[in-house]
Amino acid sequence: MVSDQLLNVLKICLLALLYLFFLRVLRAVWVEVKGPVLAREHAPSPVATGDRHRRRRAPSCLKVVEPPALAGARYELSGEFTLGRAAGCQVTLDDTFASQIHARVFDRDDHVYVEDLGSTNGTWLNRAKVTGPLELSRGDRLQIGNTVFEVA
Amino acid sequence: MSLDASLIAKSRRRTELGLIVIGAFAVGGAYALASLGRTASLPANIGPFLGVIVALVLVAHLAVRRYARCADGLLLPVAGLLNGLGYVVIARLDHQLASRQAIWSCVGVAAFIATLMIVRRGRDLQRYRYTLLLVGIVLLMLPMSPLGRDINGARVWIALGPMSFQPGEIAKLCLVIFIASYLVSNRELLGMATWPKFRPFLPHPKYLGPLLAALAIGLAMLVVQNDFGQSLLIITLFIIMLWVGTGRGGYLFVGFIGFAAGMFAAVRSVPHVRQRFDVWLHPWATYDKIGGGYQIAQGAYALAWGGLAGTGLGLGSPGLIPEAQNDFIFAVIGEELGLAGTTIVLVAFLVLIGAGLRVATHASDRFDSLLAVGLTTLLGFQSFIIIAGVTRVLPLTGVALPFVSYGGSSVLASYILLALLVRVSDESTSRDHGARRERAMAAA
Repeated sequence: MVSDQLLNVLKICLLALLYLFFLRVLRAVWVEVKGPVLAREHAPSPVATGDRHRRRRAPSCLKVVEPPALAGARYELSGEFTLGRAAGCQVTLDDTFASQIHARVFDRDDHVYVEDLGSTNGTWLNRAKVTGPLELSRGDRLQIGNTVFEVA
Repeated sequence: MSLDASLIAKSRRRTELGLIVIGAFAVGGAYALASLGRTASLPANIGPFLGVIVALVLVAHLAVRRYARCADGLLLPVAGLLNGLGYVVIARLDHQLASRQAIWSCVGVAAFIATLMIVRRGRDLQRYRYTLLLVGIVLLMLPMSPLGRDINGARVWIALGPMSFQPGEIAKLCLVIFIASYLVSNRELLGMATWPKFRPFLPHPKYLGPLLAALAIGLAMLVVQNDFGQSLLIITLFIIMLWVGTGRGGYLFVGFIGFAAGMFAAVRSVPHVRQRFDVWLHPWATYDKIGGGYQIAQGAYALAWGGLAGTGLGLGSPGLIPEAQNDFIFAVIGEELGLAGTTIVLVAFLVLIGAGLRVATHASDRFDSLLAVGLTTLLGFQSFIIIAGVTRVLPLTGVALPFVSYGGSSVLASYILLALLVRVSDESTSRDHGARRERAMAAA
């Protein structure tokens, strides 16, 4: 026979165990939030130098390669801009194969990315179709409709 | 894998294992205590029971180690704990249901592992968006076919031999994936007013159309099937995902106004809905009418009877509440473990939601991020709607409490949802920390 009191004590123990579980959860969250700092301290030095090296070579502008009529035109890469046929785009393309708002180029953490915005004919980076945000680096060729840019 | 990522993976997996061990003990203890309270003897199968629980979560843990080692370490143990507590309560109510729930939990864990194995990258799902939309709609329509069955006035079930299944639970996941990928590819177009031409105030219908069509089909199906909880959930999901996906607060505002207007109209004109409202506002006045406040009132009694620490597992009388194992499982926990126990359930859901939103903010891919938001919204609102229904914050709508309630389809869908969150979490962490290192190596 189990007395009511014993059951009561056991119940409190069970609740205590459950709360212990959530204390551990709390601690895990705390470690996660503090964690990245520790991880950065432990990071090997090549990471830092590599990043700096990389930053120096980050692309700074888009040069038009084709069509020949516009060859040489340059667009500075700063912040975020859209490319397309619409007049509202920062880079307006007079190209029947480009969509109104065709693609977007943006930088984040010192890296420059290109993203297709649901265009009809697609955006191509080095002859591969851009399906998600892709990083741009110097020398890449970016094609929108009949217009080809070189990343410099 | 980089040093950073593997350090994080190691610490997260260790946390997960530790939590799983504590959780398994807590669930085992609760199971033994429930039996002690009810029959004054330890259950005969306590050994095998503990063994099965530990084996089940350990298999899931190993799968995470193998297929998603950088994933957040809180998702699996907290979900497992909820599932375990739910099982204990169901076993205490009805042994037959419990054995079925045990089978479904195993199926759920298997689905969790299978999802982790099949979906290696969250982005891959983006390719199947229209297929998934179609699957979702077919699943929603299945109960209207001859396979369908009416249970408690809602035609949302299909019979598969001796089992019944609620395909709508899986359909919701398909819908989330569709909305997320559609929004990501048309984000700019949906965030901009371009229609009508002379005075634009709306996004072009060409882009808004498919979304609204999906919403309308989903809602029409659910209204025909008489399932209010699910339609409420789907509307909320749409509004929140549109808002987060486009970053336009207007969607939230318009959605809320539209929803309030729709609710008002429904209460005025649909007798079934009006009855729900009456029952919600005056459960005791309709206590002994059919479809009246009996269930809600009994739930309130159970919660009140539980007090601060509850009557003790196995010592309450939750048998008085209709559907105690399903919609009202929260009230049973309230009766037998009191405020302390219900707080645990609430905190568990908060932790899951917090972890889910954290996954969303850390995801590097926009689709992954929106997918995590959608999945978290689904989980969070479903638990909110039913807990609010039981505690009379909202009118009661019958949806399952994820992981806790009895119900195979709900458990299965919840585990798949969890697996997708784990997958997105793993991907963002390993890519974040892995990519930095890889770039460094390439440059050096």
